[in-house]
Amino acid sequence: MSPSTPLFAQSRPRHVRGTISCVVACAAAVLLTGCRREAHHVAPQTPVSGGTIVYATDREPVCLDPHVAGDMPQVFVAQQYLDSLVAMDDRGRILPWLATDWQISDDGLSYTFHLRRDVTFTDGTRFDAQAVRANLDHMVDPHTQSGTAGGYIRQYLRTDTPDDYTAVVHLKSPYAAFLEVLSQGFLGLESPRALARPRDVNCQSPVGSGPFMVQRWDHQNDIVFVRNPAYNWGPPTALHHGPARLDRIEWRFVAEPSVRFAALQAGEADVIDSLPPEAETPAQRNRDLWLLMADRPGNPTNGTLNVRRAPFNDVRVREAFVRSADIPGALGSVFFHHYRHAGGPLSPSTPFYDPAFEHVGDYDPARANALLDAAGWTGRTADGIRTRNGVPLIVHIPVRSSWPTADRTLWEQVQATARATGFQVLLENSDDTSVLTREQAWDYDVRLGYWNTDTADVLRIIFSSAFLGPPTGHANHQNAAGFSDPRFDRIVNDALTTTDQDRRRELYRQAQAAAAAQFLQITTYPQTTRLALSRSVHDVRLEPSLHVTTLYDAWVSR
Amino acid sequence: MTALSRRTWPFGLIARKIARRLANAVLVLLAAASLAFAALHLTPGDPVTAILGGGTQTPSPETIAAARHEYGLDRPISVQFGLYIARLASGNLGQSFSQHMPVADVLRAQGPATLALMASALLTAWLLAVLSIVFAVGRRTTAFARTTETFFAGLPQFWLAILLLWALGFELQIFPPAGNRGLRSLVLPTLSLAIPLGGFLARVMRDSFDLALHEPFILTARARGTPEWLIRLRHALRHALLPGISLSAWAVGALVGNGVVIEMIFSRRGIGRELFLAVMTHDMPLVSGIILFIALVYILAGIATDALYVVVDPRLKATRS
Repeated sequence: MSPSTPLFAQSRPRHVRGTISCVVACAAAVLLTGCRREAHHVAPQTPVSGGTIVYATDREPVCLDPHVAGDMPQVFVAQQYLDSLVAMDDRGRILPWLATDWQISDDGLSYTFHLRRDVTFTDGTRFDAQAVRANLDHMVDPHTQSGTAGGYIRQYLRTDTPDDYTAVVHLKSPYAAFLEVLSQGFLGLESPRALARPRDVNCQSPVGSGPFMVQRWDHQNDIVFVRNPAYNWGPPTALHHGPARLDRIEWRFVAEPSVRFAALQAGEADVIDSLPPEAETPAQRNRDLWLLMADRPGNPTNGTLNVRRAPFNDVRVREAFVRSADIPGALGSVFFHHYRHAGGPLSPSTPFYDPAFEHVGDYDPARANALLDAAGWTGRTADGIRTRNGVPLIVHIPVRSSWPTADRTLWEQVQATARATGFQVLLENSDDTSVLTREQAWDYDVRLGYWNTDTADVLRIIFSSAFLGPPTGHANHQNAAGFSDPRFDRIVNDALTTTDQDRRRELYRQAQAAAAAQFLQITTYPQTTRLALSRSVHDVRLEPSLHVTTLYDAWVSR
Repeated sequence: MTALSRRTWPFGLIARKIARRLANAVLVLLAAASLAFAALHLTPGDPVTAILGGGTQTPSPETIAAARHEYGLDRPISVQFGLYIARLASGNLGQSFSQHMPVADVLRAQGPATLALMASALLTAWLLAVLSIVFAVGRRTTAFARTTETFFAGLPQFWLAILLLWALGFELQIFPPAGNRGLRSLVLPTLSLAIPLGGFLARVMRDSFDLALHEPFILTARARGTPEWLIRLRHALRHALLPGISLSAWAVGALVGNGVVIEMIFSRRGIGRELFLAVMTHDMPLVSGIILFIALVYILAGIATDALYVVVDPRLKATRS
């Protein structure tokens, strides 16, 4: 959907290309993934070089190296100064980037990457097979403290370097999602010389080969990027070749949403992200602004039901709870009808998403009541809460303090509609680490969360037995449902052993069907990248793998 | 005072005074450090999960174990406490595990912004209070000024901040709504903190000021023909300052606390914001570093108050010598 499809890149006059890509964008948006572009900005002018963009964002990363930890603010920063081995286009296809081509062995255990020979990191280090090895080794090294990048490549065994520009990556088990996760900025490639420094030093001043370089990080204030003048290896999805058009980026941290929007209106910021829902209509009406939005792939924002204990160990009660929640109604009132409901286990922009499961858990209080009656929750307390054998139907939901206020309100609406069916929903607010501790101990009925990733393999992470954590003791488990089904495990594991796209599609269809039939989550809305931009800013794109802002093509007219 | 101490006063007493003050300061810092440690360990929660990322994380068990070991979290609590105190005693504040940098660097980067805000808020509050009492006592405006002061003193700072932000930042766009670029960005946060504090200070000082105006020496001054404004500023105000100075020592602490919210609302950098984030992630070294910093500011404010007392009130000097 992005105007950056290689099909149209580079040769046509700008406005023609813009029109075509706009048509394609709209058509593709409807037909393929449902990705939204609320307003598409077509610039009539010729791009100019130079200038500064002030980008105001909500959260500050804890470390600029995306291998460490791995939270969304880090990948937004990484996208500006790092390149990846491969790129993903908006249809989920993998394209060459720093790797020109690759072969996958028949057993799916070895990936041979042939690398570009003209790439250097901004500290002068050459990009070669050694650099690929250093990066992959760095991600899986426990001392890197990698939550995301290292977690995505647990299958990684080692990298061989038969020559300077060939890297052979060996895996412990077949992993068909390997190229997909490699295209994410979380697994971006850094200078091996910079990586050799202590982790906490590299966090402050990382070095990549990307279109911009990190010049300084003034904590709690901003990050300043400057153009990498030598850059000539942009991704195939980009609109132009050569160095970035901007001289500088000031990446500011403005936590308060209304203040961020005010800064944009006052011209103090050129681009803001996480546009608050209440500002969306004013932003649409403001002729000086345009919007750039896209749903992120992965598992939508959700509440996952814990099947390990009552009441949700009964699939009928799970279905009743899912159907008792009027999510579209709640989204309308909380987000001013700007957020769309995501009904299935995958966000619509995820590769192999199947729309057939969008309405499996639609709001249906009559059916919810019938299910609860059938499951034996027939008694009532004085204030209308259902009971079974004298035990009231209570749902405990720990809510971490960093959970956004609007989402909290959304769950208050769920609380209200579920109450009508006889559920007593308790939203239990606490600080983040306390909530994490409860989650590790399986002490919840619903866990709130989301998972942004560009592969349907996310289903394996959130629902398969391999991610249940150790059988005893307190530990992280990504499978928050506690769901364990050998048939489901087989489907998602089989999907990793084949690179045949039709076969993968079929397996992931089965996986989505199996998960949807179990009513393991109340899904609310897809995670979204929501930018509001000044009209003087052009060609800001969302990189397709995670819909992260990229300012490589961006330019300013003023 | 005995004759002996009177004789050795110039050196002995001062030295003893300083020693006692220093011992007190060390005790306060030690207590603050221990309380911070206890508070963070009594609240449930595992910092390691917070260190390893936010909503999307799949750290391997080896990664979790490595992080636990790196920060010494795999040792018994008593050992952790001992190491912590020993480290502090050697002047090392440690490494923040959520910020991936030394705590001293975090304080160096964020401290000045908070100190600047505190200083400007305190000065502005004093200015407002002094203006209010000097120009509205014993006149018809007194009742009005009293009411206004009480009203201001009762305003919640966060509410005032949002109001100022809306009126002067969003609607009239006179001052920038966010950030810490230049003096103009300091105006709204300063006013949010200073207006309620100014109201407090004025209420506390007004009564002493009123009393002073009825003292015989004021009558004498008036009889000499000294202009009324000079009487108020030079003679009466000096009496009113003392309770205000005592209150200011307390206000410095209150400013740090309220500064957390103000720094969040105006997206300003500062240790208040840093403290909020550190508590959220159970970042022990950073929390205790910030608490020690605040305790130090408190201690210094106390010393400064005592010194100011002597400067303002010559009677104190007289009783000591």
